[in-house]
Amino acid sequence: MRPTWDIFCSVVDNYGDIGVTWRLARQLVAEHDAAVRLWVDDLLAFAHLCPEADVRAAQQCRQGVDIRHWPAPWLPVEAADVVIEAFACELPTAYVAAMAQRARPSLWLNLEYLSAEDWVGGCHGLPSMQSTGLQKFFFFPGFRPETGGLLREAGLLERRSSFQQDPAARQAFLQRLDVTPLASARLISLFAYENLGLASWLDVLAAGSQPTHMLVPVGRALADVQAWLGVSGLAVGALQVRGALTVQVLPFVTQDDYDRLLWSCDFNAVRGEDSFVRAQWAGRPLLWHIYQQQENVHLDKLEAFLALYINGLSPAASAALTAMWQAWNHGEGVGESWLALQQVWPELTTHAEAWCLDKASQTDLAAALVQFYRNWL
Amino acid sequence: MIRGLEIPYLHPNPDISMKTAQEMKPNSVALIDGQPWLIQKAEFTKSGRNSAIVKMKLRNLLTGSSTETVYKADDKLEPVILDRVAVTYSYYSEPNYVFMDEEFNQYELNKDDLESVMPFIVDGMTDVCEAVFFEGKVVSVDLPTTIVRQITYTEGSARGDTSGKVMKPAKLSNGTEVKVADFCEIDDWIEIDTRTGEYKSRAKAPV
Repeated sequence: MRPTWDIFCSVVDNYGDIGVTWRLARQLVAEHDAAVRLWVDDLLAFAHLCPEADVRAAQQCRQGVDIRHWPAPWLPVEAADVVIEAFACELPTAYVAAMAQRARPSLWLNLEYLSAEDWVGGCHGLPSMQSTGLQKFFFFPGFRPETGGLLREAGLLERRSSFQQDPAARQAFLQRLDVTPLASARLISLFAYENLGLASWLDVLAAGSQPTHMLVPVGRALADVQAWLGVSGLAVGALQVRGALTVQVLPFVTQDDYDRLLWSCDFNAVRGEDSFVRAQWAGRPLLWHIYQQQENVHLDKLEAFLALYINGLSPAASAALTAMWQAWNHGEGVGESWLALQQVWPELTTHAEAWCLDKASQTDLAAALVQFYRNWL
Repeated sequence: MIRGLEIPYLHPNPDISMKTAQEMKPNSVALIDGQPWLIQKAEFTKSGRNSAIVKMKLRNLLTGSSTETVYKADDKLEPVILDRVAVTYSYYSEPNYVFMDEEFNQYELNKDDLESVMPFIVDGMTDVCEAVFFEGKVVSVDLPTTIVRQITYTEGSARGDTSGKVMKPAKLSNGTEVKVADFCEIDDWIEIDTRTGEYKSRAKAPV
């Protein structure tokens, strides 16, 4: 009997919630023989990641996952063996009652946000006693062995490595996106929130001696790009050249294609949680725009990650990387720090690959969830 | 008059108003799934996207078992109203710390009972504390929000800073380490906020 899993996703903003849960659901089906229902309250957001999705369907099967529109008001269903509330979303009261009423109550997990902070290890896997008699367990993704790990599909690094060692595959993929960079061009992907520091980066790229081809998927960073270019209404496929810099607007691509985009680029600017992790699996230098929080709490999280990530870098590389990440996340100019990064580029590239391999030696998040369920049984 | 001394027992809360996990402080008791749990420790942490969690150390007041748990900061818990009696610390009689009220009733608590206040229990302390009762049994002690303690050791001022913004470690007589202003010296008396364990200011010696 296949274990049944229900994953609940409430889309708050952007695509982080649905990106993580969709990826997890697919992996549980593909690698762990789980029967997964993914409850989503915003199918339009889901359709951005899964273009074949029907945004009006109450139920549909996509890539082996039973996609359910999370109805309001809730319509009773049988509770699953394992229930994941993603990012502390509130489960329907009637569903929680159904979890408790099963012959063997459901395993209830709250999948939390990703953080590199120390406290995460001390909270990962702890129970939360509920008035229903159920226990809910807090499951924290993370970078350390004492956490729940990171989402990483089986064979991901092998597929990435094959792709990166196959120039024809890279070229074919880029051509599919109508991207034809100069042979000598450095390829950069830009996926970020609005950022006042962007203009300074584009300035130095345009003034540089090496050609740069920047790929910008449609999204929140595009307005800043347009402002710097002095144009408006840039659509998918638009190409603008300023000095040594070529800027090209890309469509919002599927998760698998986004992986290939990251693998194709020499440097990836990413944001939030899901693209941040995927850029690490790309094994290339990266720049993280962290989700901004009240009281600048996000800056502590940024520092916590940096403290881990710079381990093993030379002082010069650490300083350059830290300066650029900090400036980027304060919305300050990054031109100087970008130039400093160029001085340590080979080291950063080697380090990005080493970091990727080190993190890949830990149990991945889906496997850790499955193991947690087995232990709980 | 010491309030609550006559009936130092649990009162069922006549007007149960739920509190968030964030509002539940150490030495309060929550009724969870019908069991009374003493909150011995509560650590608030911001997680992601402006949500927060509270990690708690709990002790079951019926079974004595302890557990660690996590709640979303806005999860609702049912507080139990407890009786409290003013007491002062009297002496240590292994393995118990003995507190006494105005009528010389003695209340014994061990180290585990006092987890949240242990760092500030020192011989000779005169703080008027509150013993907390559950069903007639003392279960913990609350310290005043502000207490005064003496520094027994600290390094000299490194930079001659007088602003109070530069901090350095200092030890109290029981070995507890507190970050204090750089200008503080050995034998100085300091005010400490017991909710956070943080130094507040330099103070006069208690009379």
